[in-house]
Amino acid sequence: MRMMEIVPIVVFFMGMFGLMTSKNIIKSIACLVLLEMAVIVFILGLAFRTGILPPVGQSLENVYSVADPLPQALMITAIIIGLAVTAIDFTMIINLVRRYKSTDWDEVKAMSTENFDEC
Amino acid sequence: MLTYFVLTPIVIAVFLYLFSSNKTSRIIAIVLQAVFTGFAVYLLLQTRQLGEVITFVGNYEGLLGVVLRADMMAAAFVLLTTVLFLVVSIYSLHEDNSKLFWLLMFIWEGILIGIFLSRDFFNVFVLAEVATVVVAVLIMYDKGKRSMFDGLVFLMANTVAIQFYLFGIGYIYFLTGVLDMQVAAAFIANLDREVLILPYALLMTAIAFKAAIIPLYSWLPKVQGIPRAPSAVAALLSGLHVKSAIYLFIRFQDVFAPVASTEFFLIIGLITAVVGVIMAVSQVDIKLLLAYSSTAQVGLIIAGLSIGDAYSYIGSLYHMINHALFKVALFLIAGVLEDMYGTRDMRKINGIFKKDKYIGIAIVLAILGITGAPLFNGNVSKYFIMSGADTVVNTVMILINLGTILVSIRFAAMLFGQADESFVGKKTAKSSDISIYFLGVLCFVGGIFGEEIMSFLFNVHFQMSFYGFIEKLIILTASWIVGLLVYRYVLRGDRNYKIFRRIRAIDLNFRGICFSIGAFFVVILAVVGFLY
Repeated sequence: MRMMEIVPIVVFFMGMFGLMTSKNIIKSIACLVLLEMAVIVFILGLAFRTGILPPVGQSLENVYSVADPLPQALMITAIIIGLAVTAIDFTMIINLVRRYKSTDWDEVKAMSTENFDEC
Repeated sequence: MLTYFVLTPIVIAVFLYLFSSNKTSRIIAIVLQAVFTGFAVYLLLQTRQLGEVITFVGNYEGLLGVVLRADMMAAAFVLLTTVLFLVVSIYSLHEDNSKLFWLLMFIWEGILIGIFLSRDFFNVFVLAEVATVVVAVLIMYDKGKRSMFDGLVFLMANTVAIQFYLFGIGYIYFLTGVLDMQVAAAFIANLDREVLILPYALLMTAIAFKAAIIPLYSWLPKVQGIPRAPSAVAALLSGLHVKSAIYLFIRFQDVFAPVASTEFFLIIGLITAVVGVIMAVSQVDIKLLLAYSSTAQVGLIIAGLSIGDAYSYIGSLYHMINHALFKVALFLIAGVLEDMYGTRDMRKINGIFKKDKYIGIAIVLAILGITGAPLFNGNVSKYFIMSGADTVVNTVMILINLGTILVSIRFAAMLFGQADESFVGKKTAKSSDISIYFLGVLCFVGGIFGEEIMSFLFNVHFQMSFYGFIEKLIILTASWIVGLLVYRYVLRGDRNYKIFRRIRAIDLNFRGICFSIGAFFVVILAVVGFLY
């Protein structure tokens, strides 16, 4: 295993640990983004070899010296999706924080489930 | 051709959203939906003839582009999707939903069809992620207290699970150099077992979460139990959304044939079913009861798919369709009852037969379907699932069916008794009645012509043996008697057992959900990696 694979895996499980333990909603989102970034770096890193050139504006005489563009294209998509989802998460969190003045999972949960019939 | 199946609902939705707002636009939508269902039938006939319909998106042939493939199974599920969305649109006709609701529903349909047709790992990732966002917006669109919070948990937990999926895709691409499932399967067949363990565990963790398998099921009842969330959304969540994950489970078990662990999923499926039944029996809320009951049925389906017998496999596929039909019917009925009685507490709902005979008959039809009564669709699929199982698995499945009968008796108890006149409920709209009846009749037709429908959808010719049918009938009758006795002497009335209250109080918070995802990943990694 190369460094490019080990580091993202370690970061990924750091993010998982954060998600399992953090009591704050904002911290949970931060850990979620950490998770996403670890996966993105991992997939970009898998295709990386030293000495390769970017696939834009090069002559493609020696194909083996050009970086594989597919993981990069896919990861751009993944980044955009991650951005959109994070934005929706924050929209909901802003709504919750305005209502309850708290970003603690347990407090928000307790307040949002009490006498829920009149919501 | 297949591209249009994904795009048409979305284009229709956007046009209707932009150009109209009144009731006629809904009727136009339903007519177009019916036409679309006709095209799905055409696709099924086409796949029967040709074997497989393939579309290269963007005309990049070979391995360059994204491929949509429709084989018989995919076409059957596309047809199921269109039929269910047609029924649900008719049901929602009278409801005063905003334009946003209809837009999102149609987009959801397109995405689900996309998941059924797509054979590309990354495409599935994108579609699953968009489906998550659409569902999250659908459940929190009334901006209630509960729906905001549960919507947030749903969205974040799904995002965590889908990261495992993306991680797995990265490995697959690294190992095989392709993202097409069929081509990847050909490469994977020649690879070492050891290198496949990690990607398999990663992908299966995400799929198990989406399919609501123990211990990852808790998001499903949480979302379906939100007060005042549209019943149509809850119905389609367990009817179709979860089925799309099981469909991916089937595909990935094929792709990863060298490492795929069927025994693990057989055991976990049975555990899921048992836990789901226990959770369902102890509920007092109609929608939560139905939600946990679908967990139980999902467990049964996963177990049936993993037995490793052709009969059980096809039986499970048929059960996926049957479960979609009667569970959507039951959820829509629950929505009607909620409107009629103004509550979802089953202890306060009584005397449905006296209040509205027609809904009562619809409930009876759906319940006969889900318990597997003779002449109904559940009977055929459960017969075939059990016919491939060995004695131990068979016994567990009979117990699970007994649990399902108990759950159904609790549901059916609402039919009788004295209707409380203090509730001035709404009268059900005619369109809702029509949609529920349509599903009830489908349950009946699916039972009588079960073997013919199976041979039409999956191109297999199975016959139920007369002897086996009688044997199952005896077991079923005995189960009903035991179920009625247990209900009469243990569960009946307002007896509020402490253990049931404890079970109802079980509720994983977000940390717990993340922990269970991580734990499931470690367990499946250990099972696949070390035990074989």
